[in-house]
This record gives sequence, C-alpha cells and structure tokens, in this order.
Amino acid sequence: MAVHHPAAKPLREIGAFIAMSLDTFVELVSSPWAWREFIHQSWFTARVSLVPAILLAIVFNAFVIFLLDVLILEIGAADNSGTGAALAVVAQIGPAITVLVIGGAAATAMCADLGARTIRDEIDAMRVMGIDPIQRLVVPRVAALTLNSFLLSGLGTMVGLFADLCFAVYVSGVNPGSYAASLTLLIGLPDVIIAVIKATLFGIAAGLIACYKGFTVGGGPQGVGTAVNETVVYTFMALYVINTLLSAVLAQVQH
Amino acid sequence: MSAPTARAPWLIRGLRSVVAGWNHIGDQTAFYIRAIISIKDALIYYRTETIRVIAQMSMGVGALALIGGTIAIVSFLLINTGFLIAIVGYSQTANLGVEALVGFFSAYVNPRLAAPLITAIGLAATIGAGATAQLGAMRISEEIDALDVMGVRTMAYLVATRLVGSVVLAIPLCCISLLVGFLSTQFLVQFTYGQSSGIYDHYFHTFLQPTDVLWAMIQVVVQGIVVMLLHTYFGFNASGGPAGVGEATGRAVRASLVVLTLVTAAVGLALYGRSGNFHLSG
Repeated sequence: MAVHHPAAKPLREIGAFIAMSLDTFVELVSSPWAWREFIHQSWFTARVSLVPAILLAIVFNAFVIFLLDVLILEIGAADNSGTGAALAVVAQIGPAITVLVIGGAAATAMCADLGARTIRDEIDAMRVMGIDPIQRLVVPRVAALTLNSFLLSGLGTMVGLFADLCFAVYVSGVNPGSYAASLTLLIGLPDVIIAVIKATLFGIAAGLIACYKGFTVGGGPQGVGTAVNETVVYTFMALYVINTLLSAVLAQVQH
Repeated sequence: MSAPTARAPWLIRGLRSVVAGWNHIGDQTAFYIRAIISIKDALIYYRTETIRVIAQMSMGVGALALIGGTIAIVSFLLINTGFLIAIVGYSQTANLGVEALVGFFSAYVNPRLAAPLITAIGLAATIGAGATAQLGAMRISEEIDALDVMGVRTMAYLVATRLVGSVVLAIPLCCISLLVGFLSTQFLVQFTYGQSSGIYDHYFHTFLQPTDVLWAMIQVVVQGIVVMLLHTYFGFNASGGPAGVGEATGRAVRASLVVLTLVTAAVGLALYGRSGNFHLSG
C-alpha cells in the first residue's frame, strides 16, 4: 500500500463514504434484495425508537407550549395558542425529535452491531464466502432507517399536536376551537411536506453514516466505542446540513 | 419426547414472565448498588484510569478529538435548540405584537427544559452509547472475563471510572450548554429579527431566575449518573455476539431517553407547577 500524506486522510474518508453510498444506491434498486434482513431491521428500529419518540414529543412540545401559554394567557391572547404549537411541532420540534431518536438510538445500535462484526473479521468472512456485505447488510439497514424516520416524523407531529392540544385545553384553559382555528396561521402544506422530506433524507444519511462507520472500525472494542461516538457526531451534523438546505428550498418555494 | 402440556400454559407463561421481569429489576438494582460502591475502589486503586476516562469522555479520541468530543456535540445541539426557541418564541410573540417579550421565553425555556434535557440526551447518545458499545464488545470477546481472571476489579475499573467521569463532566457541560443556549437565542433574535439588544436584555434579566439555573445544574448531574448507570449495565451484560452489542446499544439509548424525558417532566412539574412562577406585573 502506498504511503499517504496525513493531510489527505479526511479526503480519503469522504471519498470512501461517497463510494460506499453509491454502491448502496446501486444495490438498492438491483435485484437480489435482502427482504428478511430489511424486515428484521425495520422491526428492531421501530421497537427501539417508538416509545422514546412519543415520550420526547409529548414532553418537549407540551413544555414549550406550556411556557408560551403562560405568557399569552397573561396578556389575554389565549386564542392564538395553536399558532405557536403548529410552528413548533411541524417545522421545528418534529424533525428534531426524529433526528434525536433515529440518530441517537437506532443508528448507534446499527453502528455497534456492524462494528462488532468488523473487529471479529465477520465482514471479511462474508466477502470470502462470496456474499456482498453491502447488499446483505447495508441496503436493508439504510432502507429500514429511511422507512422508520419517514413514519416517525408523521407520528411525532401527530403526538405533538395532540399533546399541545391537551395541555392548552386542560392546563392553560384555552378554547379547543380557537386552538384548532389558529393552527394554520403560520404553517401550511409546504411546511408539512418539507418536514417529511427532511426526516426521510435524514434517515438515509443516518443509515449510510452508521454503516460506513461500522465497516471502517479499527482497533478492537475501543474502536467500536469511538465509531459509535462518531456516528452520533456525523449524523447530527448531517441534520444541520439537511436542515439548512431544505429551509433554503422552502424559502424559495414560498417567495 | 416433549413433556405433557401443563394445565394452564398461558398462566404459567405469564407467571414466568412476571418473575423474569422481577428478577431483571433485582439484577439491575444490585448492579447499580455495586457500581456506586465501587466508586471508592476506582478512586483509590485506578486513579490513572479514571483520569484517562474523564479525558477521553470530555475531549473524545481519534477523529473526534479534532473538534472537541462531547462538549462540541452538546454545544452544537444547544445551538440548534437555541435557534428553535428563538424562531418559535419570536414568531408567536410577534404574531400578538409583543415580540419584546421574547427574552422571557429564552430565560424560561433554556434553563428549565432545553439545557437539562438536551445535555443529558447528548451525554446518552455520545459517551453513553460509546460506553455500551465498548463494554459490550469487550464482553463478547471475553476481555472482561480476562480482566476478572487477572484480578482486576472490573466493576471499579470499567464501570465506576465511567460513573466518576460522567459526574465530573456533567457540571462544565451544563454551564456550556446554558451559555450556548442563551447566546444562540439572543444571536438569532438580535441579528436576524433585528430586535434591539436593550429590549432583549431587559426582559431576559427580568425573568431569568438564578434558582432555575441551579436546579438545571443539579438535574444534569443526576441525569448524568443515571445515564451512565443504565448504559454501563446494558454494555456489561451484553450477550449474543455482535448483533447483541448493537441490540444492547439500542436498548440502552432507548431506556435512557425514556428515563430522561420522564425525569424532566416530573422535575418540571414538581419545581415549577402550573403557573410557572410567572409574574408579569412584578
């Protein structure tokens, strides 16, 4: 192997990541498809992320809206409670919770699984046996994370709006009709579509990052821990990039 | 040959699962107590390892050391949350023509909800998940058994050192996250929405209560201990090969997210109640 300049290492990492992503996309649409693994992984992701997503959605939304309601009740504008709720839930907190749960719980688990396989040379063993690890392991995982984050974003939004409704009506004493009527003041269909696209793109990114980091683990158990750590870092960064890009797209659409 | 079917298989199965669940709770409790007791051993016998773990947790290793490890992640999350608070708070208050009061929103949401919850989630997702993966990988490759054989006190060496690390890390982490949350909200409100700094500062300082900040600090320390206990438990008891390590990591993060949200909700309601300690008229 040729001696590399140390400064080229980040570039090599990016290149290897893009190469693996392209491989994954090609395998994603070609014929042998690991259905069984896909179903297993989807089920695992759903089991790991469903309860935290619901709880986070309830607590986060309800508390933000509760504190906002404290203020707007004081100035006698309780009828407008739904506006802030819709803005918080659909455009901001919904995608953020999807990211926290998918990136924090599901992607780390996938990275730990693949990383532990890598340090025991099981991935190489698969290659020796003529089984393509991308087709057998990566494609189902990426697809499972994508499907789950798509579904979770819808669920998070529904749960969030409902929790806000309950808090506004039963704790702050807002009229339910005016809550519902003020929901659509700042938020419309484009925002909902963008939020769902955001979550879906994020699922793809988290899956690819988790699998890449899992496959490139080196240095024993310590390496697995580091890789899991890095997965979280990179997925949260991916969130930032995706969020900025899509917000720019949304701004273009609305003007 | 199978044994004859019992009289009421569903009843026996149900009872067994209840007993298994009960034993599981007992296992966890015993583990937590042993871990907390072993902190003494870690501080006496494994001081170097403790310091190494603290350094590793706070600054990260490998590629992460370049950007500052957990501290960078938590600040990054809090920047996002701070922006979120500014966007939601400003839009809603501007909608009613009282955008001057957005400082109130930052002073209330940041220390009461955002900083404790997001810091703890950051801890769970980075060093917590990392610890589960590392301990799990050590367990399935029988390195923990090897340590036991060599006479190393594994509870102290592996678990208690990480507990100490999370406590030491939690306090500066909470300070950083509070600061980042406040500053990012203020940045967005002043530079993007163009509110004057005097208005923002006035309402921010009027409604910021020092006790809230103290409670946030205590909450983060307690949550840091809980997160680390949960994650080391799942990692220490991982089984079932590499897939088992992945499953343990997922379960550990799920458990800590559930516990964290419940704790935050309970503490929030207990400390601040229905009225939120809010007095607009003074």
